[in-house]
Amino acid sequence: MSSTKAPARKGFNGYAATWRFPIIIWQALFFLGPLIFMVAMSFFLVKNYRMEEAFEFKNWQKMLTRGYFWDSYFLTLALATVSTIVTSVLAFPAAFALAFKVSPTVRRWALFLLIIPFFTSYLVRVFSWYVILAESGVVNALLAHIGLGPYTMLNTKFGTIVGYMTLTLPLVVVLQTFALANIDRNLVQAAHNLGCTPWRAVYRVIMPLAKTGLVVAALFCFILSFGDFVSPYYLGGSKPPTLPILIIDTTKSGQQWPRAAVVAVVMMVTLISIAFAALALAYRKRASR
Amino acid sequence: MSNPLVEFKRVAKRFGDFVAVKSMDLSIDPGEFIAIMGPSGCGKTTTLRMLAGLDKPTEGSIYIDGQLMNDVRPHERDTPLVWQSLALFPFLNVRENVEFGLKMRNQDAAVRREKAMDWLDRLGVAEFAGRNVETLSGGQRQRVALARSLVTEPRLLLLDEPLSALDAHLVIRMQSVLTKLQRELGITFVYVTHSQSEAFAMADRVVIMSDGEVAQTAVPRDIYREPANRFVAEFVGRNNIVSGKVSAIEARRVSVESAMGQFSVIADEGRIPAAGADITFVIAADLVEISRTPGDAENTVACSLISEEFIGSVVTLFLETADGDELKVQLQERELVTLDHTSGGTFFLSWQSASAHMLPQ
Repeated sequence: MSSTKAPARKGFNGYAATWRFPIIIWQALFFLGPLIFMVAMSFFLVKNYRMEEAFEFKNWQKMLTRGYFWDSYFLTLALATVSTIVTSVLAFPAAFALAFKVSPTVRRWALFLLIIPFFTSYLVRVFSWYVILAESGVVNALLAHIGLGPYTMLNTKFGTIVGYMTLTLPLVVVLQTFALANIDRNLVQAAHNLGCTPWRAVYRVIMPLAKTGLVVAALFCFILSFGDFVSPYYLGGSKPPTLPILIIDTTKSGQQWPRAAVVAVVMMVTLISIAFAALALAYRKRASR
Repeated sequence: MSNPLVEFKRVAKRFGDFVAVKSMDLSIDPGEFIAIMGPSGCGKTTTLRMLAGLDKPTEGSIYIDGQLMNDVRPHERDTPLVWQSLALFPFLNVRENVEFGLKMRNQDAAVRREKAMDWLDRLGVAEFAGRNVETLSGGQRQRVALARSLVTEPRLLLLDEPLSALDAHLVIRMQSVLTKLQRELGITFVYVTHSQSEAFAMADRVVIMSDGEVAQTAVPRDIYREPANRFVAEFVGRNNIVSGKVSAIEARRVSVESAMGQFSVIADEGRIPAAGADITFVIAADLVEISRTPGDAENTVACSLISEEFIGSVVTLFLETADGDELKVQLQERELVTLDHTSGGTFFLSWQSASAHMLPQ
């Protein structure tokens, strides 16, 4: 009788485990740990400018019953939503042209140029808007030629949105370009073949085909805008404050780290819910009945 | 004699330096089933795409129903195409896919639904109307793609190797579905394929293309038995091609001196070559007799067996003359028994002079 080799042990695969291990450690160390700490901190108390471990709902009560918290919450939500819609709409024609109307070489160069803004600090780029948007700035000087203005653009919600877009527009164009460039061209031609005009095909065929990528691009735009501190602070004038500004203000006034943690937890919950909803939409398949 | 539905007049298509179609003339009658066949890169798919308006001819004119189509855009024509990849929309269910063409023609929702269901029913896939197209099998998707193309009741249906992704047994079934549909509807099918069996099984006429040109247009039997040139003779069927010089002419009987020996060929009236002319003729492998004894037939070649190809009831034997020229014989598998072909030795191939088909010079 010949001896057969013992079958490989089930339940442990060294190769797969090796690849899985780092991400688990990473997530536990840098995401889950801090998150748990932050949630715990939102129940701590501050006495004589010093934080003490506790399990009290006082911070939650204080924040969630204040009108200014909810004003700030809905303002942040509204600004991020407007930023997402405006950015996605403005990015689409550019991404469409890059995906369908230019040669692969031009597309490569254009994508490279879209990455260049990220070489400079976002803060520096936001400051450069001062020269352009100020009442004596470039835009108003040009408008004066045709007898308009001057308009106040700095320290307004318009300024905030311009700032958000400085951060998000190049990224959204890049993500949308990838989404559009990867769709099956045969399907677009098949639509034309079935009597669909090129204009109609954009909405009827191209957008549904690129849906996942378009939604993910919009989601990135929303997340970056919602959590941004720089634009609402320097271009939006920080009044009324958005949630990230509220966090800074709260920590500065009387070392209220636990109350800031409440704001942060609310932001996290909001973003996680929106991300889940967006991804569900992005990956939704047609139900099969 | 009705006017042709489709006419190509000296149509050429170039992509940069690449010539896909060179000066093509073709005329297709209403109700015809035309197969365009050729090796890959011969321009057959480009021809089809030009009919759909997806590629624009560089030169020449294409007429559909007497109307010049060169500048008519794809969405302005009614020339649905059944794609090789099927190109079903993954974001629509089966019924919505079929409705698409009607929706683009702004038809009423109730009418759309009814027509789509009629076609799905006709093609036997109505039960999948609400399903995601990705959950269907290859054969079922094929039927959905057909329904989607036919729902607008076009006069011309274009098919680009639609059966190439299917299993062999499904191909046979879909062939009968297609021919039956075409007969019932009486519309024109233009069917591009690289498969000889598909083209011959379904088409009224076959167009053989080579290097962007039409090599021959004829009914399947003539393509098979009377190839117009060497390319067709080599591309279609299993043909033995013999070249030589005319040594004598006696009425229509032409004697040919070739490297393999002396043969005689019956030339067509009015196409009798001159003595001393170069000549090429074709003998289909299934018209060649094989025997162990020389016999007294006039066109006889002694050979030895190199290999055989067995495809069910038909067997092709590959043989070689003493000089290394290859000849093919096709026979029924049951005929092999009496031949004792595995024991080696000499075989004698022969054919009737009338079986040889002379290629035009």
